[in-house]
Amino acid sequence: MDLNYSDEQLLLKESAERFLKERYNFEKRGKIIGSETGLDAGIWVEMADLGWLALPFAEENGGLGGGQVEISLIMEAIGRVLMVEPYLASVILAGGMVEKLGSEEQRAKILGGLMAGTSRPALAHAERQMGFDLGNIATTATKNGGEFLILGEKMLVPGGPFADVFLVSARVEGALKLFAVPADASGMIRTEVKLVDGSRASDLVLDNVSVPASALLGAAADTLAEIEAAYDRANAALASEAVGIMDALMDATVAHTKERVQFGKPLAAFQALQHRMAEMAVKCQEARASALLATLSVDAPRAMRVRGVSGARAKIGKVSRVVAQEAIQLHGAMGFSEEMPIGAWFRRLYAIENSLGTTADHLKRYGEIIRDPVMLSGSLLRAPAHWSA
Amino acid sequence: MDLLMTEEEVRFRDEVRTFLDGHLDEGLKRAERLNPSFLADPAIGLKWQAKLNDKGWVAPSWPKPYGGTGWTLAERYIFDQECERAGEPHFRGASIKMIAPVIMRYGNEAQKNFYLPRILSGQDLWAQGYSEPGSGSDLASLKTKAVLKGDHYIVNGSKIWSTLAHHATRMFALVRTADTAKKQEGITFILIDLKSPGVTIRPIRSICGTHEFNQVFFDDVKVPVSDRIGEEGEGWDIAKYLLEFERGGAFAGGVLRAMLTRLQRLASEPLPDGRKMLDDPLFMARFAEIATDVDANDMLELAAMSKVQAGGNPGSVPSSTMKIERSRIRQSIAELAASILGPDALRWEEHRPLHELPEEAEIDEERKVASAVYFNSRSQSIFGGSNEIQLEIIAKTLLR
Repeated sequence: MDLNYSDEQLLLKESAERFLKERYNFEKRGKIIGSETGLDAGIWVEMADLGWLALPFAEENGGLGGGQVEISLIMEAIGRVLMVEPYLASVILAGGMVEKLGSEEQRAKILGGLMAGTSRPALAHAERQMGFDLGNIATTATKNGGEFLILGEKMLVPGGPFADVFLVSARVEGALKLFAVPADASGMIRTEVKLVDGSRASDLVLDNVSVPASALLGAAADTLAEIEAAYDRANAALASEAVGIMDALMDATVAHTKERVQFGKPLAAFQALQHRMAEMAVKCQEARASALLATLSVDAPRAMRVRGVSGARAKIGKVSRVVAQEAIQLHGAMGFSEEMPIGAWFRRLYAIENSLGTTADHLKRYGEIIRDPVMLSGSLLRAPAHWSA
Repeated sequence: MDLLMTEEEVRFRDEVRTFLDGHLDEGLKRAERLNPSFLADPAIGLKWQAKLNDKGWVAPSWPKPYGGTGWTLAERYIFDQECERAGEPHFRGASIKMIAPVIMRYGNEAQKNFYLPRILSGQDLWAQGYSEPGSGSDLASLKTKAVLKGDHYIVNGSKIWSTLAHHATRMFALVRTADTAKKQEGITFILIDLKSPGVTIRPIRSICGTHEFNQVFFDDVKVPVSDRIGEEGEGWDIAKYLLEFERGGAFAGGVLRAMLTRLQRLASEPLPDGRKMLDDPLFMARFAEIATDVDANDMLELAAMSKVQAGGNPGSVPSSTMKIERSRIRQSIAELAASILGPDALRWEEHRPLHELPEEAEIDEERKVASAVYFNSRSQSIFGGSNEIQLEIIAKTLLR
């Protein structure tokens, strides 16, 4: 057991924070979300140059072999500046699926493009009736000679507006499978949706979209289990993003109350406000601890993975909401204005609470796992994987 | 970075489990289950301590030369988790966790040689003499006076909230030896034999119905100068050193998880109307939320431990966060457990200790103690530096 960051990890953290601080301020973000494309193509290229787009992928696939800890550091920095480019959607979620399920050829093509900064895949899985039951998918893929015809609708696809290829989940004779569908495939209608946090997603309608058999990823794999694992990796990443945002809210609130003078003294000199900020700090500490558990659980056996990931999403959902609400309150009317980042952090946390499972969904999923007394009473420390006892 | 045990640690865990299976008997476990207080009934605690002393496992946090185990921090963590899982009586109180580290750090050789073995064996049980009727969170305002007369101090005054002083043989106390402009400077740390003439102990029954606290009066009590720790006027520094151990030093994750597991067992049992609380979504939502709190606290403990292992310091914000959150988690578990009782919550068993009563089914006994555990849990956010003091500490770091 060791929960200290390595020197390399600390270096990555520092360079990620510095890069985004210099290149992605709140004003610039405002311009990006107001632009036609909703994305800064330049920063995406720079992220490719920095190796961020190759970070989580194995070296044999041309990646850098980074783990979930490295991802968590990037995500914290992304949270702080509220980056809207689809790092989570394309790299963690879609890229992760391709790495797990793709053939050598598919990996070379899709992952290769992704890492080079020329392709942005997106995972099109969720449907309106799905809720948080990841297997509740109605889209079908029907074999038709040497090709498949995909019929169905996908909702709020993260990274959708920026994608050149979609990984579409569909049922083939009942079994859930994944297909790579080019964004310009005929029969597919993509509609851009503006999201509550200023970012964008896409709704897709697939009306018998024809794809070749070679578009199928992982024919023999348990695709649903892989999608669930990918969601868990993404949810761990979201937990870290939330932690970055919470720290930013904390810092801004402390800075504001030290500066703002009322009744002849800084707001920070009032004990009633000091204790409220101390309570915020308690919640930031707890959230950080939870996110770390999620980060270190993604490769664990399923029950432990769910405990770590959904537990963190449930816990962080609750405490991040309080921190964001308090940050607005302690900023007074200034916190209520769209001109300040406070409200944008608040809205992004709200979006996170409702992405890839809501806070309540995750609490329920976690609750089902800890009904097992062995899981509930068990230590967070695990025996090594090869230990057979 | 990982949460993995080494193979050696897994073997160590299994060794501890085997020992606990063989030595922690049902009688001891039952007595602890029926104990609503933070510390075990001394009669029970000393029995368990004696068994551990034979094994050399009484004080894992002590350095080996003084009778500690020589374990790594990780092993100590695992040991604590296993002991809590097994339901051990909580006997490591003021003796092992507070006065012992002070004697090791500030005591002279004679004091170390005399007092430390008596703590390990259970021959001495120590009570804390910090708070006074007029000095709680503002500890430095204390008034109990010690006047030097030849080779003795003459002590007059009163200490309050002394846990188990009525069973204790000795008390460590902060006393005023000089009226200095800065009130912290006139404080001295002394050791008082509670059998000395002039000591009177008044019981204070707490809201959970148990007599664990006391007020102790000193009327011209003679304390030899050789029982002073450190120099005169050095008491405040020593007091602060001790509080570090009381607040953040030990692990609490094990006991929180054990409490939660007990609550789950209680909630799995059908109620008189046939329902199980574990199937009630409102209960489950609350239960699951608390479980996520316990996980987060465990991670804070492990992260702090990692920092210490690497030669660092956890820092005041994480330490105070843990103190606050542990108290809240304990309180919320106890509160949720009591909420299951329904009308049975109105029944009150006055007899203490509860384990002296005839044995009933485990689940009935859990129900019998639940209200008292809830009442007792309110002390968690008061002792060892109240949560408000912890918020002050955090705010000071935050806003400096």
